[in-house]
Amino acid sequence: MLLGLDHVTSFYGKTPILKDIGFDLHQGQCLCVLGRNGVGKTTLLRTIMGLTDRMTGDIQMSGANISTAPTHQRAKYGLGYIPQGRQILAKFTVKENILLGTFARSDGLGEVPPLCLSLFPYLAENLEKQAGLLSGGQQQQLAIARALATNPKILLLDEPTEGIQPNIVHEIGQTLRRLNTEFGITLILTEQHIKVARKLGDAFLMMENGRIVARGPIAEMTDELVERHMTI
Amino acid sequence: MPPSRLLKHKGRPRHAPDAQWRRGIGDVALGNSLSADIAPIANALILGLSIASIWLIAALGLAIIYGAIGVINMAHGEFIMLGAYTSYALQSFFGLPFLLCIPAAFIVVAFIGLLLERGLIRYLYKRPLDTLLATWGVSLVLTQLVRLTFGSDPKYIAVPEMFQSNVQLGFVNLSVLRIFVFALTIVLVAATAFLFYRTRFGMQVRAVMQNKEMAASFGINADRVYMLTFALGAGLAGVAGSLLGVLAIVLPTMGTAYVVQAFLVVVVGGGTILGSVVASGLTGEFQSVLAYVTNETFARFLLYLLIVVLLRFRPAGLFAPAKARR
Repeated sequence: MLLGLDHVTSFYGKTPILKDIGFDLHQGQCLCVLGRNGVGKTTLLRTIMGLTDRMTGDIQMSGANISTAPTHQRAKYGLGYIPQGRQILAKFTVKENILLGTFARSDGLGEVPPLCLSLFPYLAENLEKQAGLLSGGQQQQLAIARALATNPKILLLDEPTEGIQPNIVHEIGQTLRRLNTEFGITLILTEQHIKVARKLGDAFLMMENGRIVARGPIAEMTDELVERHMTI
Repeated sequence: MPPSRLLKHKGRPRHAPDAQWRRGIGDVALGNSLSADIAPIANALILGLSIASIWLIAALGLAIIYGAIGVINMAHGEFIMLGAYTSYALQSFFGLPFLLCIPAAFIVVAFIGLLLERGLIRYLYKRPLDTLLATWGVSLVLTQLVRLTFGSDPKYIAVPEMFQSNVQLGFVNLSVLRIFVFALTIVLVAATAFLFYRTRFGMQVRAVMQNKEMAASFGINADRVYMLTFALGAGLAGVAGSLLGVLAIVLPTMGTAYVVQAFLVVVVGGGTILGSVVASGLTGEFQSVLAYVTNETFARFLLYLLIVVLLRFRPAGLFAPAKARR
């Protein structure tokens, strides 16, 4: 088991947003977290990163209990985070943004890892460009490159295809698939596009109101389930 | 007393022996009828650079702490004062040469800053107004502690012999000490800029400044960055203290005099290193030229007026970075 959550309840202020979440994730899996807006998908990823105000329960990563570890230490366990809205540092150059990821590495590499450049040729050609000037799709690529620079075991992707034009959605989907199958990086992604989820994922969690209401291999994600928990 | 020594009015913030000193060079310059027109202005401009370097060195630590952490450190003046007393104590009790007192003041005051950050400031990062009040309280405590330890009579840091002479540059007569302060200011500003813009640590600081959560998500310990930055800012104030202590006199209340200038530089500059350099240069030159045209006190009045007008139109300073405050 690579990552395991056990009875995790997570709070903003005094309000529990996630309630009693538990799941196991194995090396090389791709887990899709699905649900409508506001059911706690983002909070789930933020809880794994330790960015919520408080949590109870246990989070295990590679056999270590990281429930009480601060965010910067969790990153070093091999969690690469691609947050909602991408949150690249606008005043940094493309290169500096990628280098930011290297602070979470354990091998002390202080350069841009070659993988980041070979996956995203546009970034490789614009390393000195200010990141705030990139388009949405380019920023998403940069956010993925930055997370990859941490040499992650798991990538946490929060709606990676949100607000991105369709042809780039396809491109990002392919990149993620390669990372998962070719490089063996485990993925957790929240997604609103059922198509992307079906194409990429091999397991799913369906959430509603801060709880997991359905789970299983992606093949078991029936239209009926989608209908019940995702249509508005 | 060496010519560079400032005769300080009791309780009245005076920066440098500008008036007296200029009178001295004015006499020299007027002796040459050819350069009588430009000489005084050239003197004023060069003196302005010297004033600028003094204000900049006083402001550097404050700018770093404000720019990187967003804390307005009201105890900055007292860090300067502690630097001056550190140099004074090391020199007069242990006979440490002045040039070694400068790095020693850096280390001692940085350590005091570190203790203050760990013991107090870090609990207040989410409450900026409380930091203001708390650091002001700290400044009172530090002033009083030093007064109780060293007394309220002025202390002097002996000027090393190599700094006691004056040099003639064209028609401008400059004390070596002031040239040394000017040079050291350049070195420190360059070193600080290098640290912030060319090193891994600097990148961590700039990342935390932009987005603390993202920085943490990529393995940066923001707590540690804040701690080290605060200590660095305090240490720079310590260096400023040993320089200002040797330019002027050492008093428990000397911090209040310098902190006003330091705040002006930081506010006008907008909190960045480059902004502080430009702001100190402008304010220093304005002060010097205005003082040449009018007098010292009226120049200060005009300068403050100009700054008020400037802030009316550019409230965030000359080089306002569009930053998201934590």
